[in-house]
Amino acid sequence: MLIGLILVVVIIGLWVASTYNFFVSTKARIKASVQEIGNQLKRQADLIPNLESSVKGYLKHEKGIFESLTEARKAIASALKTGNVQKMADAGSKLASIIPNISVAVESNPEIKGSEVVAKLMDELRDTSDKVMYARRLVIDLTADFNVKRATFPSNFVAGIFGFSEQAGLITPESGAHTEVKSSDLETPKVNL
Amino acid sequence: MKNIYEAVDANKRKSVLVVAFFVVFVFCATYFISQAASIYMGYEPGGLGFVGLALIVSGVMSFGSYYFSDSIILGISGARPADRKREFDFYTVAENLAIASGLPKPKLYVINDDSPNAFATGRDPYHAVICATRGLLQKLSRTELEGVIAHEMSHVRNYDTRLQSLVAVMVGMVALLGDWFLRISWWGGDRSDDQKDTGALGAIFIILGIVFAIASPFIAQLIQLAISRRREFLADSGSVAITKQPSGLISALKKISMDPLPLHTANKATAHLYVVNPLGRGGMVKRFSGLFNTHPPVRERIEALQTML
Repeated sequence: MLIGLILVVVIIGLWVASTYNFFVSTKARIKASVQEIGNQLKRQADLIPNLESSVKGYLKHEKGIFESLTEARKAIASALKTGNVQKMADAGSKLASIIPNISVAVESNPEIKGSEVVAKLMDELRDTSDKVMYARRLVIDLTADFNVKRATFPSNFVAGIFGFSEQAGLITPESGAHTEVKSSDLETPKVNL
Repeated sequence: MKNIYEAVDANKRKSVLVVAFFVVFVFCATYFISQAASIYMGYEPGGLGFVGLALIVSGVMSFGSYYFSDSIILGISGARPADRKREFDFYTVAENLAIASGLPKPKLYVINDDSPNAFATGRDPYHAVICATRGLLQKLSRTELEGVIAHEMSHVRNYDTRLQSLVAVMVGMVALLGDWFLRISWWGGDRSDDQKDTGALGAIFIILGIVFAIASPFIAQLIQLAISRRREFLADSGSVAITKQPSGLISALKKISMDPLPLHTANKATAHLYVVNPLGRGGMVKRFSGLFNTHPPVRERIEALQTML
């Protein structure tokens, strides 16, 4: 009887300890993953000038691309300086939006279409914007793990006892254009090949 | 319709269930065989001593393949390290998925084989190795490759190499135990008249022991395969949880399973590692052989993935 009671208390104690550790370590990992976004943006900011100089010869008629590349780099650099998570995340998506412009330029210019250097540029741009996207995703996933555990039974007791507050993660406005579906979005997209 | 998280949780639950069933089965098998052995030999610790010995022998036999899993497998499959320039997509996709899953970047290797396939091994995430064939890297798009590499990353995250090694130790132990017991009862030992009467209960134990000794190595292997198939489903849903794009993995699975080229470097010892079973192509006894497969049928995996779309 007594042994049984002790066993139950020990098991509950171990469970509370492991749940507490989950909250603490996930919080630390969220913090680290936010730093990882900054790390990847730093890499982007360093990468862009290198890429620019390597394709300059091939894309010299496409001034617009270089302008938008420079603009993206500036946005990234300034966001890195502020250290604001949200600004950093926004700056990262700027680069991703350039890639379609480059493909258009490449398609319309048969001279550079077959060029390996330009293909490499697009690969690298896709990769670096993927890296930032995945770094953001880790923040989102960890935050979701944390908040789900914090809200669900029975781990919500542990969260309540030790006062773990909800993690914000990446702040996305709950309303606005990205959450609405316009009637034009519902039309079948027309593709001209 | 299930969302990805429900799918992952459901797969985890089923996987735990199969593993628990396996543990209970191994426990029963060792209990009955050791009881029978101790009654047969006429002294109590005889059976338990056997269990200990079988566990040690099986453990020693499997420990090497677990601890050195990363280097042994690579030696068998003849792989070379991946290069960022030559295998740009493979290298960067693995890098990105390591970021996404919060794991260290695994070591990457390429097997010189035109048949598309991939596998992961290594005893923990810090010693993880992901291996892809040249055919896979040539035939898949970047999105499809992401699905496959994320599948391998979830194997790494779920410690599947560790689980499979532990299961292999247990299966080996049961097989050894059964084999030894059958040998003793066959050769009879020196059972003399002065041995104490074991009674009806003893006779039942001996019969049960013989039945378990004959059947359980086979049954244990079947459960081992069932565990392996469960872990594949779990890795599939884990892959979608990382990439959020079931369509990539679906079309990759289709491409891999449709490919007519056989994988030359795969054999029975390494088959269970690959993303799609490299040996299970065609055959007349497909339905029955489902029980003996390390992987669930690709059709079922695609159906499961489509519910997550």
